Amino acid sequence: MKQITIVARRDLDLLARVSQVLADRGINITSLDSENTGEHSIIVLTVEDYDEALAVLRDEGFNAVSEDAIVVRLKDEPGAVARVSRRFAEAAIPLRSVRIIERSGGYGLVALATERTKEALELVEDIRVS
Amino acid sequence: MNDIRHKAPAELIPDLSAGDRARLDELYERLSAATAHCVGYPCSGVFDYSELDRFMRLPINNVGDPFGKGIYRVNTQDFEREVLSFFADIFSAPKDAYWGYVTNGGTEGNMYGLYLARELLKDGMVYFSEDTHYSIGKTLGVLGMRSIMIKSQPNGEIDYEDLEETIRIHRDMPPIIVANLGTTMTGAVDRVDRIRDIFDRLALKRYHIHVDAALAGMIMPFVTDPDPFTFADGVHSIAVSGHKMIGSPIPCGIVLALKRQVDRIARSVEYIGTLDTTLSGSRNGITPLILWDAMRRNGREGFRRIVVGCLQTADYAIDKFKEAGIEAWRNNNSNTVVFPRPKGPLPEKWQIAVFEDIAHIITMPHVTRDMVDGVVADIAELSQ
Repeated sequence: MKQITIVARRDLDLLARVSQVLADRGINITSLDSENTGEHSIIVLTVEDYDEALAVLRDEGFNAVSEDAIVVRLKDEPGAVARVSRRFAEAAIPLRSVRIIERSGGYGLVALATERTKEALELVEDIRVS
Repeated sequence: MNDIRHKAPAELIPDLSAGDRARLDELYERLSAATAHCVGYPCSGVFDYSELDRFMRLPINNVGDPFGKGIYRVNTQDFEREVLSFFADIFSAPKDAYWGYVTNGGTEGNMYGLYLARELLKDGMVYFSEDTHYSIGKTLGVLGMRSIMIKSQPNGEIDYEDLEETIRIHRDMPPIIVANLGTTMTGAVDRVDRIRDIFDRLALKRYHIHVDAALAGMIMPFVTDPDPFTFADGVHSIAVSGHKMIGSPIPCGIVLALKRQVDRIARSVEYIGTLDTTLSGSRNGITPLILWDAMRRNGREGFRRIVVGCLQTADYAIDKFKEAGIEAWRNNNSNTVVFPRPKGPLPEKWQIAVFEDIAHIITMPHVTRDMVDGVVADIAELSQ
């Protein structure tokens, strides 16, 4: 089952709003993990209809990240992304893209995409959100 | 004497029904009203291209390279080349050493610039700020280019320290920079001189700088203290929109690049049997006429007057917001006025864009002080 990660600035209603949007479209959530870390709210879920759920969530303005990307949490300081990409360079794992999804409260959530997701997950285990 | 002009035989063109005509009338009224209140998007409503109406009756197609020779003669490529020459001049492109074409808009221009960079630097890594227009991410996906997003400063400008640290890690990969000349939300400029300083410090010789100059490409050439953005400042390709500051009923734009670089990739295209180096093949022949018309009417001095007027309206808007107790600001040489996003939903009629904590209005040529007064009054009411 494929997973979707939704990130936002700290929003205690996020879980309720995401659940409602998916329920309105008749999309069943099969697993769900929700966390509020500092200034960020993060939901990791799996659903029965992955593509539709992803489209619906994005249409509704949520920062919904597909499982093609790994989301990591970094300190919001110069060179933070560079240090993560150095890990990949040293491990000879090419990064396809690096995108900042959300920045607030001194931390940033960043989505990393690579062809070698399994190895990449181990590489960023200590900072990984999903 | 025979009249050699084309005239479509009226008997071969079916009439629209009364109902369809009524729908078009209704649509026209709706769009006219929406245009009269548009303060949130950078599209000028000040133009009149009725001189060109007759060209709508001809099957014009600027297919292929505007500098090449084609068989299809119903084209406006000679006018297109004049338009490109005007832009080459205001972007300080080397004389007779530039290439470009009139695009369908900023996105196609950016895609061409990145395509050129990809072909020239196969092992390159693209860097762009988080304030860059979302279409760049989409384009990078289409082109299959590796990329890293760099932090922005609070004013929307790229964070040079973060950029330098990130490039340093990937020194083995030639950097391809998408530099913003006016970001979407705050009109910020990524300074080409500071980016080149980074390359110098890191002793990087192979790189490509593409400038996304969608809106400010038609502002910066006409201000007294422009930020560096031209070919003379070291950029390799630049894309600007035609339907924004110039104004056009059809989205359009211009992309310009260095001819010697385009020629290098043209050779590889030639290998597959075509000399068309544009992205779109069949191309709009009306939009080059539109840009030519605007260029001939306004000239440099006319565009300068338009830009000065827009910046004065922006300052007026900032003053009005401040009088209403709302902290508004703008970047230097930008007509994008940024203010805190109000709590309630914004009035739809003004079509104001919002992102996270901020909202903006853009004082395009059709935005009057009366319109600004109306917007400020509505926003102030929401902010109370």
